[in-house]
Amino acid sequence: MSYSKKDEDAEQALFRVDRTSVFQEARVFNSSPISPRKCRILLTKIVYLLHTGESFPKAEATELFFGITKLFQHRDASLRQMVYLVIKELANTAEDVIMVTSSVMKDVSGAGGRAGAEQDIYRANAIRALCRIIDGTTVQAIERLLKTAIVDKTPSVSSAALVSSYHLLPTARDVVRRWANEAQEAVLSGSKSSGFSLGFGSSAAAPQGSGMTQYHAIGLLYQMRAHDRMSLVKMVQQFSSGQVKNPAAIVMLVRLAAKLADDDQQMRKPMYQLLEGWLRHKSEMVTFEAAKAICELRDVTDQEVAPAIHVLQLFLTSPRSIAKFTAIRILHKFASIKPATVNVCNMDIETLISNSNRSIATFAITTLLKTGNEASVDRLMKQISGFMADITDEFKITIVEAIRTLCLKFPSKQAGMLSFLSGVLRDEGGYEFKKTVVESMFDLIKFVPESREDALAHLCEFIEDCEFTKLAVRVLHLLGTEGPKTAQPTKYIRYIYNRVVLENAIVRAAAVTALAKFGVSAKDGASVDPEVKKSVVVLLTRCLDDPDDEVRDRAALNLRIINNSEQEVAEKFIKNDTLYSLPVFEHQLIMYVTGDQSTFSKSFELSSVPIVTREQALAEERNVKLRSADTPTLKAPTTGGPAKSSAGAATSTEVSSSTIANTQKHAQVLATVPEFNPYGALLKSSTEVELTEQETEYVVAVTKHIFKEHLVLQFSVKNTLSDTLLENISMIATPSDDNEATLEEDFIIPVAKLNHDEVGTIWVAFKRSADEAYPIGSFTNVLKFTSKEIDPASGEPEEAGYEDEYQVEDLELTAGDYLVPAFAGSWENVWEQVGAAGEEATESYALGTELKGIQDAIDFLGKKLYLQPLDGSDVAINATTHTLRLFGKTLNGGRVVAQVRMAYSGKNGVALKATVRAEEGGVAAMVVGGIA
Amino acid sequence: MSGLLRRMCDWLLRLFWATEMDITMIGLQNAGKTSLLRVLAGGEFTIDSIPTVGFNMKKVQKGYVTLKYWDLGGQPRFRSMWERYCRGVNAIVFIVDSADLDSHPTARDELHALLEKPKLAGIPLLVLGNKSDLENKISVDELILSMNLEDIKEREVSCYSISAKQETNLDAVLQWLISKAKK
Ligand SMILES: Nc1nc2c(ncn2[C@@H]2O[C@H](COP(=O)(O)OP(=O)(O)OP(=O)(O)O)[C@@H](O)[C@H]2O)c(=O)[nH]1
Ligand SMILES: [Mg+2]
Repeated sequence: MSYSKKDEDAEQALFRVDRTSVFQEARVFNSSPISPRKCRILLTKIVYLLHTGESFPKAEATELFFGITKLFQHRDASLRQMVYLVIKELANTAEDVIMVTSSVMKDVSGAGGRAGAEQDIYRANAIRALCRIIDGTTVQAIERLLKTAIVDKTPSVSSAALVSSYHLLPTARDVVRRWANEAQEAVLSGSKSSGFSLGFGSSAAAPQGSGMTQYHAIGLLYQMRAHDRMSLVKMVQQFSSGQVKNPAAIVMLVRLAAKLADDDQQMRKPMYQLLEGWLRHKSEMVTFEAAKAICELRDVTDQEVAPAIHVLQLFLTSPRSIAKFTAIRILHKFASIKPATVNVCNMDIETLISNSNRSIATFAITTLLKTGNEASVDRLMKQISGFMADITDEFKITIVEAIRTLCLKFPSKQAGMLSFLSGVLRDEGGYEFKKTVVESMFDLIKFVPESREDALAHLCEFIEDCEFTKLAVRVLHLLGTEGPKTAQPTKYIRYIYNRVVLENAIVRAAAVTALAKFGVSAKDGASVDPEVKKSVVVLLTRCLDDPDDEVRDRAALNLRIINNSEQEVAEKFIKNDTLYSLPVFEHQLIMYVTGDQSTFSKSFELSSVPIVTREQALAEERNVKLRSADTPTLKAPTTGGPAKSSAGAATSTEVSSSTIANTQKHAQVLATVPEFNPYGALLKSSTEVELTEQETEYVVAVTKHIFKEHLVLQFSVKNTLSDTLLENISMIATPSDDNEATLEEDFIIPVAKLNHDEVGTIWVAFKRSADEAYPIGSFTNVLKFTSKEIDPASGEPEEAGYEDEYQVEDLELTAGDYLVPAFAGSWENVWEQVGAAGEEATESYALGTELKGIQDAIDFLGKKLYLQPLDGSDVAINATTHTLRLFGKTLNGGRVVAQVRMAYSGKNGVALKATVRAEEGGVAAMVVGGIA
Repeated sequence: MSGLLRRMCDWLLRLFWATEMDITMIGLQNAGKTSLLRVLAGGEFTIDSIPTVGFNMKKVQKGYVTLKYWDLGGQPRFRSMWERYCRGVNAIVFIVDSADLDSHPTARDELHALLEKPKLAGIPLLVLGNKSDLENKISVDELILSMNLEDIKEREVSCYSISAKQETNLDAVLQWLISKAKK
């Protein structure tokens, strides 16, 4: 067949094609004898139509389908191939497609009466069509055929069979799972098959085009074994030893290994080793995938990630843009999580910021914004402003988010960043982009108080000409909460009232509510200027004539509240300073609506959601914003409904990350034990501490609960002995000498009995004496129980057991147990305020070489002291010295402010000097003492 | 060279004389349609033939006539599809397992239901009582009765007793079929 002929075909097929004429031309399928050329052209037209989004109605599709069956068994191999391509496409719409099964099977088995080489042209297509027309009940009939095809030595046939099996898996899981041996064989023989290109693109650096069957086979095997972790592990290990050559297949293995490392702590180390090995693979795509996987490992350590960063760094200077882009993109993402580890690449990234490829430049700059120091910020911002106009919204968002994080990290740079943000806010852009900018400004207002007035002014200007109702409403709400606290509230009233005059009903309603806030609250809790109040009342009264119901209702309600003599109600209602802990609220609502039907018999218990002050909520919000800027997105493919479970897991980890929520969770459990009722509200629960290794006979962990006057230890005990029954299990927790006097045992609730693998809870309660507000010290803990052996023959425990004891590790009660993190806009301010009113204590420590750097020390102190890092000081910027600034409150509400200067050297580890100021007596010394 | 000439000659002859005809083979499952087709195409008879899912097409060359056989599945789910493959064909072959008496009433009903379709009017019908090698088979006359063939009007109908297994009477079948080719 000559090329000119082909071109002619193409021309006819690709121009002037419409559904009706194609359908009419379908008569050629019935002509006798068949003209292969005419038929192929028509089939091409059909595929073209379907490809461009056209669809045939069911009746037409069926008609076409059966017309096409008339072409079966034609001697022209290319016609057969076309026939299968079209059948595959029509299989979903046409009726009774099962009719062609037997005929297609004949071609799959190679019994179609053509020579081997010709068969290879269409066999793969026949297989792919076959799996589309078959239904669950008939799969068995084609089992033998597909099994043979999977191990066929023609790669295209083998691949088609593997991919088809993959598609059949959901419809006929049990049948397809029996083909594992064949799939396994396909992987192993795939490495031998030589240069048969399947049309997958091959890049210069990664010669491929052979062994694609390996990729398909591994994909299938993974789907088959998705629920059996051990066999997945075996598979990854077996295939990573060199038989698998195809880069795409190895990429699959990389993802699997990463997933296994994530799912199972035990597998973390061996899988990491594999990933690290793949970093040196000769194919780029494998290297990148491995580097990315390592960066996305949960809680990856600096040491683990170093080789991946190194490899990526090398790519930054690659002559090819695509390699540079990929590398900087991965680094950019990782820099949000651990900026310090990306520091080493700064020099190379620096050269990319003026790269002619805007995408590379954008990522380079935003990465530097994350890894760089305060001094470089201005320069980088200038660089970005230079090309903001040339990039897409998506990249603009990336940049704005980087700046938002930066604002929180370096509050002193706020002025420059604010003017940048307000500048881009005036630019053209879509909703998502504008939203990101506005939210960034919100964050500035919330967390960087110095920027408040300017930011509010910019936002006022923004809503003057804002095409997005949603954003206008949010800005108005913010003006309502923040405006009254400023020196000149009247300034904002004018802007807000303009909206009432000019906007749509939704915005007007929001403006009315915002206006009302000015009528009841003012700066620092001072009473409202009567002039302001009067003008607000006047304006609201005008709104009573609004054409919209909602606007009028809001105006009337708010007027009533403002004019109400009972100021307290008004303030509570309009100012609304406390709120429900939103993460907990959300979590509980999810649990409620996703629970089984029976949960709906009771209405949702709103009182079970803790109420937090705005301060606390802000502290947590800020943490989340600074840390989890990015979460890994590309994972190994998952099967079954994982979306739901992983979403659930995500919310629960978020919730448990918060001190309040953790306490709240425990409060529910404690409430079920009547003995604790007289203790009053639970103030704080610690996280669980293990007191034994996981492999011991009795596994013990403890959680500390602090009440106003009591301390409760909750021991969870697990019996891991299969041949022993434990009875009457209690825990003797003895305070050390120094706090013996201040803690007096109240009662112990023992566990009656524990069978093999059962977990029980022992409660030990102490009364805290009144003169020592915050007792600290250690407890020795001895487990006491009666042990009865179980007769292996009868399965019954013996009559009389023997008394036994088992000492577990000591428990420390530390200063941190009495502290909760709190947020303040400016650390400087609280430091001065508390310094003026309270006590100060200073101590120096050498933490030794246990901690591997400044960041480790920061995290260690954060966990130990339960104080909130401020001014972005929770991120180490310099590898040798750092100042950590902390703020929090005691359980009684006294403020605690700390400044920790630290230095790190490889030889001596971390040394630090901590100064703590606290409002309550004795607390400063206690906190300083609680560090080590 | 002479080979090429002969092939040229052949090709020319076929061009002017050759005809292609469509024949549809229907009947209940297990009647032996697929087996018969295999034998007609010159293949070996096999005991372990698998049920046909949908249809199965085979071309057989006899002299200058190309017979295109459409062998349809006989399971109930495929019977509604028979009509579609009978439209416009040169002949319909209905195959009955002449030893499986229980199946005859159903076979008769399906056959008559099909012949009532207006689009199939006038198409010649050949009814074959297959498996004549078996003990308890019935004769041609008995088959004509049990299939109610007398009732069929306005179409040419013939009925033979055959065995695909022992290849009995297959020549007659072929001859009958070829006589239906449109000249
Ligand atoms: N004894 C005997 N057995 C036969 C003869 N012809 C077919 N069979 C057997 O009958 C069984 C069914 O044959 P098939 O040809 O598959 O039947 P079919 O009509 O194609 O069945 P479906 O495809 O399901 O409609 C097979 O076991 C054959 O070996 C025959 O002439 N004599
Ligand atoms: Mg059959």
